[in-house]
Amino acid sequence: MADSEVRKGYLYTKSHEWLKVDGKKAKLGITDHAQKLLTDVVFLELPDAGAVVGKGDEVGVVESVKSVSEIYTPISGKITAVNSELEDAPEKINESPYEEGWLVEIEMKDESELGELLDAAAYEKIL
Amino acid sequence: MALRSPIHELHKELGAGFTEFAGFEMPLQYKGLIAEHMAVRKGVGLFDVSHMSNVWVRGKDAEPLISKIMIADPKRFPVGKARYNAFCREDGTIIDDTIFLHMPEGFYVVPNAGMNEIAVEWFKKVRDENGFDAEIIDESRETVILAIQGPKAEATMQKVVEDLDLSTLKFFECSWAKVNGKRYVLSRTGYTGEDGFELHIKPMADAEKITRMILKAGEEFDLHCVGLGARDSLRLEKNLCLAGNEFEGGRSPVEAGINWTMDWEHDFVGKAAMLKQKEGNAYELLRPLLCTDKGIPRHGCEVYDGEELVGKVTSGGMSPCMKKGIALAYVKPGHREEGRALEIEVRGKRVPCAVIKGQFVKKSECAN
Repeated sequence: MADSEVRKGYLYTKSHEWLKVDGKKAKLGITDHAQKLLTDVVFLELPDAGAVVGKGDEVGVVESVKSVSEIYTPISGKITAVNSELEDAPEKINESPYEEGWLVEIEMKDESELGELLDAAAYEKIL
Repeated sequence: MALRSPIHELHKELGAGFTEFAGFEMPLQYKGLIAEHMAVRKGVGLFDVSHMSNVWVRGKDAEPLISKIMIADPKRFPVGKARYNAFCREDGTIIDDTIFLHMPEGFYVVPNAGMNEIAVEWFKKVRDENGFDAEIIDESRETVILAIQGPKAEATMQKVVEDLDLSTLKFFECSWAKVNGKRYVLSRTGYTGEDGFELHIKPMADAEKITRMILKAGEEFDLHCVGLGARDSLRLEKNLCLAGNEFEGGRSPVEAGINWTMDWEHDFVGKAAMLKQKEGNAYELLRPLLCTDKGIPRHGCEVYDGEELVGKVTSGGMSPCMKKGIALAYVKPGHREEGRALEIEVRGKRVPCAVIKGQFVKKSECAN
């Protein structure tokens, strides 16, 4: 999908999650490309704040009319916030994947894990 | 590389995102699946379904050949009529479900995506084994198929069809119809459970112009272009089978619950096996399951009655009209009467559901 937006200043995974780092914390969501592949999101499951997660752990499930997708965190740490507004408005993931559609906020345990992620230019190449 | 529709570039211009399906790269969605779904239920939607196949069966013995191949009896469908049905192997398992249009020149069969070669090979085999005199012509790669579906489909199409009063073409009828000065096969058929038309455009070079004409004609009805995403949710709400899902692994029309389209009086390939299966009454039957709590069943989910595994989901999703999880599942005898409470295992959790009767979304039931 040529028209998918890739935001500069975000980090990306090959499985189409994004991270926006702010100090020791990082917000995690799914990319514009991912939301287009999923189609309209109608249901999601998110972890509880306070949960400790390891790199590669599932931190949520996003379901659309058409399909279901597990969300994995590329970094380890502690969930410090979840976007509870999505429960009543899951369509925000489609409408604003990089802003209002964020899923969880993670306090990073090991910032060196960020080195394995793609920057915007590298992510754009795999689309 | 996947095959593309001849109007691929137009889809791009219209904002489509694409997906691969049965060897074709086709639009998945344009503006959004739910908006497209609702447009078809309440107004009108335009689909490019060129991935579907087009096979002519013509000649002296076209009717006896179709009668031998298809579970429906073509004698009951004279020129101008169309019929949804299926063709099966000797063991009664479905090769493909299809619609045949009885046109003045012969039978125009529309098998599923990527099924044209299998269909043609099978038709020729049955023809030759029975010594029938009929020609079988594959026009699948020479034809663009547009589906115009929804309560405003007739009003939209009447603005582009030049030589036919569409109110005289009833549901599941077919005709030649003139569009932009040339004649094409037009049927009042579809895969959405709504009123609608399918226009078969050959040569394909005519398709872009005609598509643009239909887009313009539908503007006043807020016509939406619709991708494969909503095509799937629309058909699922109406309990319509998707060949790759519901017939996977070898299922008969008896199991798939489409024997309403079968005519038992005529002789056709697979009939003996189906009769035997029907009498045995031990077969699994495709049933619609409506979730009564949160959760969305998906293809492959297991169905339980208490602790007993009684079935498996072949298609599942969320109904945009009902905002509930819905599924088609093959269910064992004794666990599938209307109202039976079952559970679907969705990612380790049991989601309660009930067997329902008929379509999930009945006619004009899609409020909101």
